[in-house]
Amino acid sequence: MSAGRLENGLRAFWIVLLVFLYAPLAVVVFFSFNSINSSARFAGFSLQWYEQLFRNEAIVAALTNTVVLAMVSTIIAVIIGGLLGYGFYRYRLGRLSWLVWLIYLPVIMPDIVFGIAEMTFFVAINERLGILSPGLGTMVIAHVTFQVPFVALLVNARLLSLDPQLFEACHDLYAGPWQRARFFLLPVLRPAILSSFLLALTLSIDDFVISFFTAGPQSTTLPIYIWSAIKKGVTPEVNAIATLMIGSVFLVAFFSLLVQHGPSGGRPSKGGRRA
Amino acid sequence: MLFTVAPGALFILVFLVLPSVYLVGMAFLSSGPYGLPTLPLSLQSFRELAGFGFLGWSPGNLYTLIRSVWQTLLATALVILLAYPAAYYISTRPARWRPLMLLAIVVPSWTNQVIRSVGWMNIFAPGTPVSDLAALLGLTAPQMGLFPSQFAVIVGLVYNFLPFMVLPLYAAFERLDTEQVEAARDLFASPVAVFRHAVFPQTLPGLMAGIVLVAIPAFGMYVVTELLGGGKATMIGNLVARQFAQASNWPLGAAGAMIMIAVTLIGLKVLRDLGRRLSGDREVVL
Repeated sequence: MSAGRLENGLRAFWIVLLVFLYAPLAVVVFFSFNSINSSARFAGFSLQWYEQLFRNEAIVAALTNTVVLAMVSTIIAVIIGGLLGYGFYRYRLGRLSWLVWLIYLPVIMPDIVFGIAEMTFFVAINERLGILSPGLGTMVIAHVTFQVPFVALLVNARLLSLDPQLFEACHDLYAGPWQRARFFLLPVLRPAILSSFLLALTLSIDDFVISFFTAGPQSTTLPIYIWSAIKKGVTPEVNAIATLMIGSVFLVAFFSLLVQHGPSGGRPSKGGRRA
Repeated sequence: MLFTVAPGALFILVFLVLPSVYLVGMAFLSSGPYGLPTLPLSLQSFRELAGFGFLGWSPGNLYTLIRSVWQTLLATALVILLAYPAAYYISTRPARWRPLMLLAIVVPSWTNQVIRSVGWMNIFAPGTPVSDLAALLGLTAPQMGLFPSQFAVIVGLVYNFLPFMVLPLYAAFERLDTEQVEAARDLFASPVAVFRHAVFPQTLPGLMAGIVLVAIPAFGMYVVTELLGGGKATMIGNLVARQFAQASNWPLGAAGAMIMIAVTLIGLKVLRDLGRRLSGDREVVL
């Protein structure tokens, strides 16, 4: 086997792989512009499904819920998870060191198990205390819970890669806790915080199962809407909603490219939610 | 310390550990009215899960468990076959192209799981070119789509988890000691021998990490099997979920969840031992 043939074979393989990866998404986008209700035959270009979509109040509400859920949970998770990652690094936890192992729990927990555990727990609390009735609130809590470990791990990994003497330098320069955070920690952690923000965001966008089990009647998100709509088969309307969501993911991908090539060069790596 | 660790630790304790403990406890309760858990404590759920019902023993649940393991293994094997050449190819490209190529692999997995399956439903629907081709080749009956089927489930699983194998393998290829590979070539080792003795041992840690990232979520899959699978390809995740929806038997579902976690842990142990043996005890892989 000559090196040239191997090279050509690999290039052909790479192209086939890209087709495999993008064909399902491309088909969704393509048929969302179909003028007839079919995903087998393209009759002509039309925007009618998009017009219908924005006139449908249920879909607009689901869109709002989706954006609110993703943004709110990600912001909370980055704050809580970032502090946790720092705390694990800075303090010897002594008798609490088992806490570190707890954040690996979602790694071995299939998301269906996670989803039903959250759901049954919320129901039990709700029956007894009347709080945590299923809705956006419970969904945000569930999302933050699976996002926090990943943020903590990313921030912690970045801190472990730093020279410990930098902390002593801060101390020698009489930096107070606030100054240390403002002029040392935040700048060096900026790439890790940005990439954990993007990771947490994509984890939230990608999730269906946990949202599905913790949602209430008023907190339908776009994936949940699609889920109930496709029981009757895929319609161009479903494809149109999906196209909007695919578009937003490509936007996030674009931003992550910017982060990668930004001045501080932190690389967001998505090893999967169970990474 | 209170300020940094406490919020996260409290959150994890209250909303992750407590619900998990509650679920474990539920598995040992009885199924009351509407399938909700009630006292007394019992092992009824586990007995039912093993197939013992009112009408005697039935193998249905056992088949589901075996099918889950089998479909996980098949999908993982296919993912490995695709990911090795992909990761190798990316690692041999000029450095400025690599981040973009990795991003191209990863971006589809950032879209929502449901949408990815909807994509395949579009492709495998009756009357599409792909389905027509399959019918023409006699693989399916005419006018039938390619889903729901076990084939569609495997495609969906491979599609979902391919990136999780490519990334760690790529990381391993990037650190690959090429001198070893060249030494093997200079000694006229065949390509197979080069792979087996020079490439495979060096990429083993990446492979192991990839298997963990692919097989664990594949085993717990719910969405792909539900949308692309129909009845003949259901996995244990669907069986568990059903107990909290249509069938409504919470303790039975909780017991199923225990089994899922147990099988996952056993799988991790087997993988770890396998990794130790393959790497000749040189290093702890996992």
